Amino acid sequence: MTYLSILLTAILTANFVLSKFLGICPFLGVSKKLNTAVGMSAAVIFVMALSTAVCYPINNYILLPNGLEYLQTIVCILVIAALVQLVELILKKFMPPLYNALGIYLPLITTNCAVLGVVLLNFTEGYTYLESLVNSVGAGLGFMLAMVIFSGVRSRLESCDVPKFLQGLPIVLIAASIVSLSFMGFTGLVEGILG
Amino acid sequence: MAEKKSLRKEFTKGLISENPTMRLVLGTCPTLAVTTSIVNALGMGISAMIVLVCSNIAISALRKIIPDKVRIPAYIVIIASFVTIVQMIVKAFIPALDKSLGVFLPLIVVNCIILGRAEAFANKNGVIASAVDGLGMGVGFTIALCCMGAIREIIGAGTIFAGAESLLSIAGITGFDGITLIGENSAINPMTIFILAPGGFFTFGILMACANKLAESKGKPKAELGGCSACPMAKNCALLNKGENCEEKKEEAKS
Amino acid sequence: MKKFKEYAAPTVVLLIICIVAAFLLAVTNNVTAPKIAQVNAENEAKSRQVVFADAVGFGEETTNADGVRLVPALDANGTTIGYVAITVEKGYGGDISVMTGVDLDGKVTGVSILSMSETAGLGANATKESFLQQFIGKISGMTVTKNAPAENEIKALTGATITTKAVTAAVEAAIEASGGENIG
Repeated sequence: MTYLSILLTAILTANFVLSKFLGICPFLGVSKKLNTAVGMSAAVIFVMALSTAVCYPINNYILLPNGLEYLQTIVCILVIAALVQLVELILKKFMPPLYNALGIYLPLITTNCAVLGVVLLNFTEGYTYLESLVNSVGAGLGFMLAMVIFSGVRSRLESCDVPKFLQGLPIVLIAASIVSLSFMGFTGLVEGILG
Repeated sequence: MAEKKSLRKEFTKGLISENPTMRLVLGTCPTLAVTTSIVNALGMGISAMIVLVCSNIAISALRKIIPDKVRIPAYIVIIASFVTIVQMIVKAFIPALDKSLGVFLPLIVVNCIILGRAEAFANKNGVIASAVDGLGMGVGFTIALCCMGAIREIIGAGTIFAGAESLLSIAGITGFDGITLIGENSAINPMTIFILAPGGFFTFGILMACANKLAESKGKPKAELGGCSACPMAKNCALLNKGENCEEKKEEAKS
Repeated sequence: MKKFKEYAAPTVVLLIICIVAAFLLAVTNNVTAPKIAQVNAENEAKSRQVVFADAVGFGEETTNADGVRLVPALDANGTTIGYVAITVEKGYGGDISVMTGVDLDGKVTGVSILSMSETAGLGANATKESFLQQFIGKISGMTVTKNAPAENEIKALTGATITTKAVTAAVEAAIEASGGENIG
């Protein structure tokens, strides 16, 4: 049950993009069209799960026993950067179709704060290995949900008559504000269902 | 004399004409997340500025030594070390700020402004110019954050400079801990929504509209989300090298 | 030889940068770690005095089986007049660490929030004096209400029931941990 509640919390109530403000750059930048939004989010889910799977043991079995917590940030970001490059190479060589679908987003993900954010938040939350993985996948799914919804909103915006001074980025941000307002409606939902 | 003048230009461009937040639209995550109060915004801005100046100096000094191939990992290591150092110093001397910035302090590592400036400026220019560029960008970032923070704090919490004591105590000033504009039992309540997530997006949108208006009156283009061109990884991006845009690429793959 | 330059040189440079970075971090850590520990200790000492104003001194800290940290509060003669307990509960945005003073009758003498990461403007209001004051004098079996609080009830913070419940649970845990048990 706890896994389910961690998953739902990460997707809905504590949505990474809309309530934690992580991964805003791709959220605003790649959400213009539905298919790019889905491709980017799929790559994010994959990288989040993978980097959590690798960083967690490094933190708990190498850094913590030796009192090296202060190296957390630097080690995690390096591991993520290396992983992303590695995945890119492997996909390119062995799975060209998948590379064409996801690969192009991979270089953008290294500097996506949502990935480093989820890894570091898993440490501070004190999750177990499995809980961390569930939380990472949930955060990724939440990212995808926000991207997909927002790409829908943006495609509508294209055909709207927006006041001149709001055209461009301002109206996108205000639309994001309304989407995030609607996500606040999920507050307490998880506790209500499972608690 | 000419040298001096160009240095001043490097500094002032970060303030307004190339303001990282309002014009280049970089570092949006901390801009939205930590601007719930001016003190938080100031703390974040100054921390990022210190990292930016230090990393710009280090990267510019090492620009001839670092092989092009391992450029990005090398930058990341340099930036991450400065971030961790700043984080430890904040923890030791301003623990209240560490608590309120939370995970966003280590996340300065992935703040696109810093890697972006390393790629766009520091690896091409000298040490002094890079330091000045970092300072200008850092100040510009701080100003933008403080504008956001001021609006959100006044409307959303009814206070201004709340929690200032934690910052001022370093300078030895105590006794000033912000002004309460809307008291707890006054007739109107602060609009809490402004310090929550939706208010962040909304305030940023309105500020962006103002910035665009200003730019327009000076005949400059509107701030556009760079997508690819502003992306710090742009140079690394295989697509951009081919002269394509990541959004377009997908379309092509389909057809 | 060309291959060496192509593959080894970047690796060596990167390695050197990493070593220098790690060394710098270790030095900074050595300088700041004692300072951080000292700041934390000072904060806790200050909070202890706030949550148990009657105490003149505090005894040795112990940790019980549930992981609750207990410090006996002493009067001028060195007799124990209550306990200060640090309990941790899960709030809305992560762990909330709460320090509670409990006298020997099981009554709360004061509550202070040591650390939390609740939403600014909602859950973060839990650090406000007007909220924490409610707990003073309360005994075990508190309930959270959204209306005007009755006997042994805690008025929930607007829009932050989860935070209120978490803080209340932490205080309850503190009462239980120090409830007349003879520790040590």
